[in-house]
Amino acid sequence: MKEQTNIPTGKVERASRFVTTGLKVGTNYLKHYTKKLLDPSISKDELHADNAEDIYDTLSNLKGSALKVAQMLSMDKGLLPKAYTDKFAMSQYSAPPLSGPLVVNTFVKTLGKSPFELYDKFEIKAANAASIGQVHRAWKWGKPLAIKIQYPGVANSVKSDLRIVKPFAIRIVGMNEVDMDKYFDEIEGKLLEETDYKLELRRSVELSALCAHIPNLVFPSYYPELSSERIITMDWLDGFHLKEFLLRNPSQEVRNKIGQALWDFYQFQVHTLKTVHADPHPGNFLMRDNGTVGIFDFGCIKEIPEDFYINYFLLVDKEVIRDEVKRRQIYTNLEMIHPTDTEKEITFFSELFQKMIDMLTLPFTLDSFDFGDESYFNEIYAYMDYVSNLKEVRDSKVARGSRHSLYVNRTYFGLYSILSDLKANIKTGYPVNTPAFHQQ
Amino acid sequence: MDKQLIRDAYKTFWLENGKRPVSIFAFCQQLGIAETAFYDSYSSFDAVEKDIWLSFFQDTIEKLQEDEIYRNYSAQEKLLTFYFMWVQKLKENRSYILLQKENYRIPGIHPDKLETFRIAFYDYIREIIKEGYTNNEIKERKFISDQYVHGFWMQALFVLRYWTKDDSNQFEMTDAAIEKAVNLSFQLISTNTFDSLVDFGKFMFTRK
Repeated sequence: MKEQTNIPTGKVERASRFVTTGLKVGTNYLKHYTKKLLDPSISKDELHADNAEDIYDTLSNLKGSALKVAQMLSMDKGLLPKAYTDKFAMSQYSAPPLSGPLVVNTFVKTLGKSPFELYDKFEIKAANAASIGQVHRAWKWGKPLAIKIQYPGVANSVKSDLRIVKPFAIRIVGMNEVDMDKYFDEIEGKLLEETDYKLELRRSVELSALCAHIPNLVFPSYYPELSSERIITMDWLDGFHLKEFLLRNPSQEVRNKIGQALWDFYQFQVHTLKTVHADPHPGNFLMRDNGTVGIFDFGCIKEIPEDFYINYFLLVDKEVIRDEVKRRQIYTNLEMIHPTDTEKEITFFSELFQKMIDMLTLPFTLDSFDFGDESYFNEIYAYMDYVSNLKEVRDSKVARGSRHSLYVNRTYFGLYSILSDLKANIKTGYPVNTPAFHQQ
Repeated sequence: MDKQLIRDAYKTFWLENGKRPVSIFAFCQQLGIAETAFYDSYSSFDAVEKDIWLSFFQDTIEKLQEDEIYRNYSAQEKLLTFYFMWVQKLKENRSYILLQKENYRIPGIHPDKLETFRIAFYDYIREIIKEGYTNNEIKERKFISDQYVHGFWMQALFVLRYWTKDDSNQFEMTDAAIEKAVNLSFQLISTNTFDSLVDFGKFMFTRK
């Protein structure tokens, strides 16, 4: 309750926005059941669409971390009804823009000069909205630049936003509150990191350099002298966001090339750097017709702890999985099962997890994989749907899965869903199941 | 005697002593001027304090009018820019303002100190509103439009109060507060929300 004294108006205003949404969602349900009385054949699709619309509107008004949570929810397609996902996916592209004077004010405050003095040309109208900021286009040294500007007060509102979002998240995802606490801590930490543009700039420069050797990836140059704690200046990258890109009917070859580049990018980060760009939502990638992909926004970086890494990827190893004792040990290490669980619970959850893991890690175990295979994803979604509706899962009072798995899973979910939309057929298998991996 | 000099000396005295000088005589002696020279510029300490608030405002306006980009802004953007610049100006004098606030509680409660500032602010806002009429940002409404100025004055006091209590990094929460408050006010006086509200109120009142 302490934060309340810091930003009282903000919090009340934010909270009241959610109350309004709650009312609207309630009305939507009422509308739905009235219609259903008159016409029993009506499906819940319309209801979900209405709800998603209202919740989305609220979240996009709040911007900041609430929008971030919306993004995270929209990543895990299988966990949400389709209407929610579609609407939330929009939050990855658009939020109401900041006023011109506030943009100028941010420059004057943090860099001492107005953007019109700093750049040869500066577009005061934002080109894109990012979740905790917006992107402007500018020109200097004869080339186009992208300027990312952070909304004021984002860091301050992260905590109160998350607290407000939590009940909604619990509703939507159907997770119990204990689970949520553990994960919200992790999310909060990551969100606070994301508001630190100085950190982001440093990481962007480092990671771009480390990944520069991977074919078909394009990284912008960054300009620290034109960046501050609220502003990042980098090269303007051309290209299209995933959905627009697909509308251009790229050839299978181009889609494979991009898919491969993304796959290599993530595998290299996870297995070699143990540090991963954990924000693979489509807004962070710009795809081009020549099969290259521009990557930026290193705000959300997950450092993968060594012991988590070992346990997590041991699950892919068929040999290890056959060994019941070893397997249980790994599950315990990953906090998927707990010492307090009964024998019945252990058996129940082990089976669930193993089935899930077998499905999700299938691409790792093959030399190449066709992500255009819809039946594969449908099977996953169907199974996740089944799992989330199991009484035992819903009633489980303990958190299952380590907090680190949150961002690692999210990364793979994001990657898979992009690859699936691309229908890319790519070489997988790196470097899991190789001797180098087993030595770890 | 330069007015600016007296104002600065007066502020400095506050910053160092945390209270008013005991008398104009003592203040002048310290400043090395004759008491009569003081009266050429100001008649009392109250007048100095009022003028200090006014000077914050006038300095801001002066700076704005030099700026070509500002001149091309819409009414709403102009007001936003004004608040941002004004708060910047206040920042240079934050210690003085906070001292005043502690001594007189919140400035809004002692509106007489802000009186000359208020009059100048009203003139400025009337200009902004007039501009808003011509480019259709603000809707002219009988009787009610005359009250807009008071609303904006309340808004300015809100910003001032918010800023005095703001402890965020670089006062960025004040930036957010300004943005939200101005957006809200312009939405209220531009769209039909307000008209519908008045219409509804009138309806309820006359029906009784």
